[in-house]
Order: sequence, then C-alpha cells, then structure tokens
Amino acid sequence: MKLIIAIFLGVLGIYCAVGVLFGFYFIFFGAEKIDPFMKETKKGVRLLLFPGIVATWPFLIKNVVNPKTK
Amino acid sequence: MGLNYQFVLWNKHKKMYDKIIVLSMLLYLILFAVVTLVFNSETSIETLILRAFGSLAIVLLHIILVIGPLSRLNTNFLPILYNRRHLGVSMFITALIHGGFALIQFHALGNTNVFYSLFTSNLDYNSFTNFPFQVLGFFALLILFAMASTSHDFFLKNLSPTVWKRLHMLVYLAYALIIGHVFLGAFQQETSPFTIGFLSVGFIVVGSLHLISSFREAKIDKSIIDKDAQGWLKVCTIDEIDDDRAKIFTVQNERIAVFKYDGKLSAVHNVCKHQGGPLGEGKIIDGCITCPWHGYQYLPHNGQSPPPFTEKVATYELKLLENIIYINPKAFEEGTEVEPTQIQKT
Ligand code: HEM
Ligand code: FES
Repeated sequence: MKLIIAIFLGVLGIYCAVGVLFGFYFIFFGAEKIDPFMKETKKGVRLLLFPGIVATWPFLIKNVVNPKTK
Repeated sequence: MGLNYQFVLWNKHKKMYDKIIVLSMLLYLILFAVVTLVFNSETSIETLILRAFGSLAIVLLHIILVIGPLSRLNTNFLPILYNRRHLGVSMFITALIHGGFALIQFHALGNTNVFYSLFTSNLDYNSFTNFPFQVLGFFALLILFAMASTSHDFFLKNLSPTVWKRLHMLVYLAYALIIGHVFLGAFQQETSPFTIGFLSVGFIVVGSLHLISSFREAKIDKSIIDKDAQGWLKVCTIDEIDDDRAKIFTVQNERIAVFKYDGKLSAVHNVCKHQGGPLGEGKIIDGCITCPWHGYQYLPHNGQSPPPFTEKVATYELKLLENIIYINPKAFEEGTEVEPTQIQKT
C-alpha cells in the first residue's frame, strides 16, 4: 500500500510541477497562442487563470503546438 | 461574449450578491462558534476552526447543488443560478481553509511529507468503518480545486464545452466523497450532530429535487406533436406565445425556441453557445434574443450574434396556417438566414 501511495503522490507531484512550468510559460509567452482573445485582455487576468492552467495543462498544451488561427 | 476576457464579469447585481454571500458566510462562522462554545465550552479553538469551515463548506455545496433544479422548477431562482460560479469559488476557498488547516494541524508537524502523512497515518484501507476518511476529503478537495480554478469563461472555451461540462459534473463525485468523509469521520471521532443532521436532510433534499426536475423535463420532452402532409410539425397557436417571448418545443430530440416579436415569428435552436443556457426562456431585447443566463444575444432571423461577435445557432423554418404554427423539423446550418413568418392582423 505504501508503495502505491508513494507512486500516486509522485505522479501527482510531477503533474503539478509540469503544470506550474506550463503556467509560467502561459503567463509570459503562451497565452496568445492558446487563445487569440488573450492579446487584448488585461495582463492581470493571466494570474487569475494560472491555477486553472496548472490543473488542466494536458488539455491546453495541444493548442500551443497547433495554435488556432481564428 | 466579447473579444477579450474580463477579470470577473461583475455588475451591480452580482456585486450585491457577492456582498450577501460574504456577509452570510461570516455570520455563519460567528454563529457556529458562539453556539459551539455555549453547548460545549471545552471545544478547542483548532477543532472549532476545523468544524466551522468544514460545515460551512457543505452548507454552501448543498446550496450550489439545489440551485440548478430549483431554477428549472421556478424561474425566480434564475438570478442565483447566474451567480453560482462565485458561490462555487467561495465554497472551494472555505473547504481549502478547512483541509489546509487539518493538514497543518495533523500532518505538518512531523518530519514526513505532509501528503505522505495524510495518506499513511491511517493505513486501514481495507476496512469500511475505519477507512482513512481524510483521504476522501483530500480527493474531494482536488475536484473542487479543478472546478473552481477553471470557472472562468477562458476555460469553457479552451477546454471545449464538453470537457468543461464533464469536469464540472465531477461535483457529484465530490459530493459522494464528502458524504463519505463526514460520515466516516463521525464514526471514527465525534462529529457535531448538527453536521450529521444537516448532511442527512440535505442528501434527501438534493436527491428529490433532482428527481422532480428531471421528471418534469421528461414530461416536456414527451409532448406529442402532430405532423402535416409534408412532415411539418404542428406546435401551437399564435396566442400561446407572448410578445417578445418564446415557447420551447422538443422536436426529434432537439429543443427549439419559437419567438414572437414585432408581428413576426422565428425559430432557433434552444441552446446558447455560451454555456448551453435555454434561449427560449429569454426575451427579445433590442431586437435580439437575449439568453437568460448571461445575456449573450442572437438575431432571431439568422441565429447570429450581432457583429463584432461571432456566435451562431441553428435556425428553423416556420409556417402559419389559420393561426396554427408549423415547424420544419430539419435544422438549417448555424447562422442561416430564414425569412421571419409574418403574422397577419385579423
Ligand atoms: C485535504 C482535505 C481534507 C482534510 C485533511 C480534512 C480533514 C478533516 C478532519 C480531520 C475532520 C475531523 C474534524 C473533527 O471533527 O475534529 C474533518 C471533518 C469534516 N470535514 Fe474535512 N477534510 C478535508 C476536506 C474536506 C472537504 C473538501 C470538505 C467539504 C467540502 C470537508 C468537510 C468536512 C466536514 C463537514 C467535517 C465535519 C465537521 C464537523 O465535525 O462538524 N472536508 N475533516
Ligand atoms: S449560457 Fe451564458 S449567455 Fe447563454
């Protein structure tokens, strides 16, 4: 059981760490690639979105690879 | 609706609701402390904080869970529905204070990692009654975090509405986990009878409201509609629709809103592009169908949001025969222009 717990917490930790890295990338560079509307949005909004980016980065990362044109 | 995102969509009403939420939460915490200290003056301040915030979180969660069905049963509850997001975030913060405090209090003082300690301080994972209840609370808190942190419209759009909706449906899983957390907690150490009582009654109320409202919906969906020779469906007479309002019909499993305005009739798909709000429960304002949930607008004759916005809903063709409205069940592409049906003055 302790092994399962250690693995689970390790995976959760890595997920969050990648999320935080991606979150910083989002704040400083990636926001407009993910969503063109972010260009005209106040910078402060990015901080508000930060926790959600950490939580859901696997769903957002594909938009950076293939940015929406619209 | 917009070409950029706002920090929070606040307006005068929402600010008022938010003030009411914050004041009620404070009032609850104070009352909880006073009542606890009167009845059980030996309660330590740590236990008090833990219980006050834990129980406030479940009270808020219940309010959130009943707003949906209540506003379907009675439209007077709609304004609270619009404000549900802020309630959700408040609930998460309350639960976070409770969980964070418990982690610090029970798990941060040793030299093992806080989370490792949370998961291993009680290893009775095979037991039912002695199952580590704090772990259940932890998973619930993870779900609440994912929901609260993605409540902004940015995520609705960029996660896609389907993913977002699925994520937010997890609230029911969180609810189940929290019920387990509180009941097992009560079993393993004494919990205030108030919390247990509230949770039991709350469960019955939440469950029955959901049942009643889905039963009602099912009844609307079954409404039988006659066909004419060309396969057009008879929906209702003109007088059954009020001016600048709509009636909603279910046609081949799609809900369609038929609007009456300026002596004309138009029909669009009932589902708002923003968060799926029921357009047919909205009104025509400034010539536009206005969603009752957050005010997205669509032109009735083509289902398009007025420029510069780009949302589009599907449109439908109507015809009138002796005051009876018929609808062609085949939807047009989203945003297709359809000549509104003129109502002859008699
Ligand atoms: C990391 C997550 C969590 C931890 C470590 C945790 C820990 C605890 C502990 C130790 C207790 C027993 C308190 C006592 O009676 O002495 C408790 C009770 C409780 N928890 Fe949590 N919890 C967590 C998450 C949550 C969440 C997310 C909710 C609800 C939204 C919640 C709601 C409650 C309630 C209602 C009680 C009973 C309070 C009472 O005794 O009246 N907890 N929790
Ligand atoms: S659902 Fe938000 S405006 Fe329609």
